Amino acid sequence: MSELKHLKNEWKAIFSCMGCGDCGYAIRPAVDRYLTCPVLEAKGEGGFEIYFARGRMNVLKSILEGQIPLSRELAEFVYECMECGNCTEVCHMSQNEYIVLNTSKWIDHVKVWEALRKDLIEAGFAPLDRHGKLIDYMNDEGMRNPYGEEEAKKFEWTTEFPEIKDKGDLVFFGGCTMPLRQVDALKSMMKILKAAGKVIAMSKNEWCCGSVALRIGDEKALTDIIRHNIEVFKNMGAKTVFTACAGCYRTWKKDYPELLGEELPFEIKHITEILVEMLNNDEIPFKSVEGSEMITWHDPCHLGRHMDLYEIPREVLSKIPGIELVEMKRNRKNAWCCGAGGGVKSQFPELALDISKERIQEAIDTGANILTTSCPFCIGNFRDAYKEMETEVREKIQVIDIIDLIANKI
Amino acid sequence: MSEVYKKLENIVKEKFISNSIYVRHAYSRNVDPVLQGVPDIVIRPKDAQEIAEILKIANIENIPVTPRGGGDCEFGGSKPIGDGGIVLDMKRMNEVINLDQENLIVTVEAGISWGKLNEYLCHYGLYTGCMGPGSGMTAAIGGGISHHSVGGGGCAKYGACTNQLVSLEVVLPTGDIIETGSQANKYSKFPFNRFGNGPDLAGLFCGDNGIFGVKTKVSLQIFPRPPFAAYKTFQLPRKEREVSAKIMTDIRQKGIDVYDVMYIMDLIVRIGCEQGMFPFWENLKKKRGIIFYTIEANSEKELEEKIKQLDEIMLNNKTEKLDPEISDGNMAKWHYTEQGHWQFYHNLWGMSPCMEPLTAECFSSINSYPPILNDIDQWDMEHNEDMQKILNITKSRPIAGSGPILLIDGNNVEITCGFTSFGSYFDGEIHEILKELDLKLWKSLLERVTKSGVQWYMMGDFMSRLMVDIGAYTPEYYNFMKSIKKVLDPKSILSRGKFNFWGD
Repeated sequence: MSELKHLKNEWKAIFSCMGCGDCGYAIRPAVDRYLTCPVLEAKGEGGFEIYFARGRMNVLKSILEGQIPLSRELAEFVYECMECGNCTEVCHMSQNEYIVLNTSKWIDHVKVWEALRKDLIEAGFAPLDRHGKLIDYMNDEGMRNPYGEEEAKKFEWTTEFPEIKDKGDLVFFGGCTMPLRQVDALKSMMKILKAAGKVIAMSKNEWCCGSVALRIGDEKALTDIIRHNIEVFKNMGAKTVFTACAGCYRTWKKDYPELLGEELPFEIKHITEILVEMLNNDEIPFKSVEGSEMITWHDPCHLGRHMDLYEIPREVLSKIPGIELVEMKRNRKNAWCCGAGGGVKSQFPELALDISKERIQEAIDTGANILTTSCPFCIGNFRDAYKEMETEVREKIQVIDIIDLIANKI
Repeated sequence: MSEVYKKLENIVKEKFISNSIYVRHAYSRNVDPVLQGVPDIVIRPKDAQEIAEILKIANIENIPVTPRGGGDCEFGGSKPIGDGGIVLDMKRMNEVINLDQENLIVTVEAGISWGKLNEYLCHYGLYTGCMGPGSGMTAAIGGGISHHSVGGGGCAKYGACTNQLVSLEVVLPTGDIIETGSQANKYSKFPFNRFGNGPDLAGLFCGDNGIFGVKTKVSLQIFPRPPFAAYKTFQLPRKEREVSAKIMTDIRQKGIDVYDVMYIMDLIVRIGCEQGMFPFWENLKKKRGIIFYTIEANSEKELEEKIKQLDEIMLNNKTEKLDPEISDGNMAKWHYTEQGHWQFYHNLWGMSPCMEPLTAECFSSINSYPPILNDIDQWDMEHNEDMQKILNITKSRPIAGSGPILLIDGNNVEITCGFTSFGSYFDGEIHEILKELDLKLWKSLLERVTKSGVQWYMMGDFMSRLMVDIGAYTPEYYNFMKSIKKVLDPKSILSRGKFNFWGD
């Protein structure tokens, strides 16, 4: 039997779960709550309770009570979860600030799932095969990214932008997904920054932020990464480090200080926070436009539920000429996950696509012709799902990064 | 893989059956900290025919079967009693089958939740009236019918959800499928009435706690949602138990069709405020009990007249009205406009980490509840020694009492009475003594309340057996129930162990 070191730390959360099941089934239209668990819904008729939080909490109670062990079989179940945090949201949700559910003080499902994943890894039942490769690539000295690409490839796009400095107050952390898979959005970002007269610095010595390993439960891999990345940016004189990736943002802003046990020596911002400052200062010279497009915003879990960044992206959208924001049925705290997080996209790609298709359909239902967001994982997963959808669906809506959306209007 | 498993798999196909140890443990508990039963197999059937086939095999092989809807029973009703057997997860059957807008009847699969059904109906300006149990966001219609559920809103006006039942499709324990009410006539084209065609056999399955059949299809009377509503909250004066009961009696005697009336005891208000659960009541000078009403009407004039009458009753009973917004403490507004009726009980469940409810739910007449609540206080004092033992381990003393008192149909209320305690796992150690104390105290308290003459409606594993163990049933009634069980379920396949018919 494993020591269950991490799960034991979460005993209060696990045994505080009453088993009401709202983390699977809650529908409460008066407060826009329409179901909770994307995995359970994607499983459809085969949706046994092990696929959502209540069933998993019941299993964890039995594990801590010594009735059943950890195993590879359990790992296969529990990694089918994006750790989107919607279960936590409904668990805490009176949906009214004047009535507080005390469970909010001691139940954080994402922390519980991460503790379980750490124990599974330490007991040798995880990582699962594809996750193992991601971590290996991330730790490879010649790669330092989970995509298995040579390290230098991450920085090829910067050759077009000699204006990027080696040192400065405002430093960009590129991460891995955008420079290796969505480089156009980075070029769009540079277009915006240039138009606004902003100067940024960047290092070619940054490593993957480690989000992938953290979400999978391999905390050990983070120790070197955190120290390295902080040292690199400190030496550049950074006062603010920003990123265009929601996953990197969550990792830098929330996980690094928690793991280090101390504040970072610089401020962390997401690109939408930089954009809103530029828009508020009228620094972005938009083209004049006629008419307006209907746009809907998808709240990435790592920006919204994990970091409470809901209104800033909407403020950004409100200041872009020629667009009208129309909300999806499930937005902000109730937002449906895109299906990519928590290692699901790499290990269970079909599940990720099924969930993504549901979210795209929800976007189409708004009548919007553009679905925008600011997370490369969401964008990538939406685009993959989009390719598989019928032509008539594709004609109804486009998936565009908020950075591209703005750049196209300059 | 056993032969039986293969036979069952052939009925539902591989995707819908599991004997994984993890799936089985996921279905081994309900909403209570101490009762557990691990099934051997979990199945998600798609329709009545599949369930009939499963039950036929269960009879041949003598395997107990437990139906499970939302899994929200607080007393172990939707997991096996003891380990083993099959759990039927009814949540795969969760669709609306037909909406008869002309006759205001909706027919659904029994695994649909009250939340999902009412979300569907609201697009037509309709609702179920009684919104099911307080756990209605998840709890299934079939479970509601099996327990006469109340608590999820609308029970003062519409009563228990079984009041609205029109017709049931039920798979009997031996595998026969029947339809009740108007559907007993094979020439009836659609369900329209529960009563007639002989005795009310649908009633046999209402509140049966899942022992007489598996509900697969339910037709309910539904209602247009009135366009006008009001919701007001009041603070009670001293002697709040008696005053709140008098208010409810006055409302009934005036014949005012309130939608909900709820009395929340001073204990809950006080502890809730101490725990930071009720920011909107923190400024109340005296942390006394609260009472609120919600009422609906078809015109403004009608609403005004009803409010006038209700406010007069409140004033005559020396209550103090809170201001109208939720931020002012008007819980009634949250309860009605934000469907807080499906959330309220969650506040009480999680007052301290790992503190969980050992309760049961019963009906009593309005004028009976003040002495019952007083007696629970007395019971608490009498059991202080055992409570202290729990305190010594957990650093929290259990709290005995009742959740909110809710007016239901007739001159009756619902009482959720019990105490809060902790399961045996606490801070890295298993304390078997906690479980022993929990069971001993739970049994003691519910026996005491039973002897005050209440009527338990959701009984599950614990209460159904306790009623028998303490000899609370009249022998004639219990034998009658047992005889029916014997005829319908000769091998006691379905929900085996409930009501302890044969020492099983």
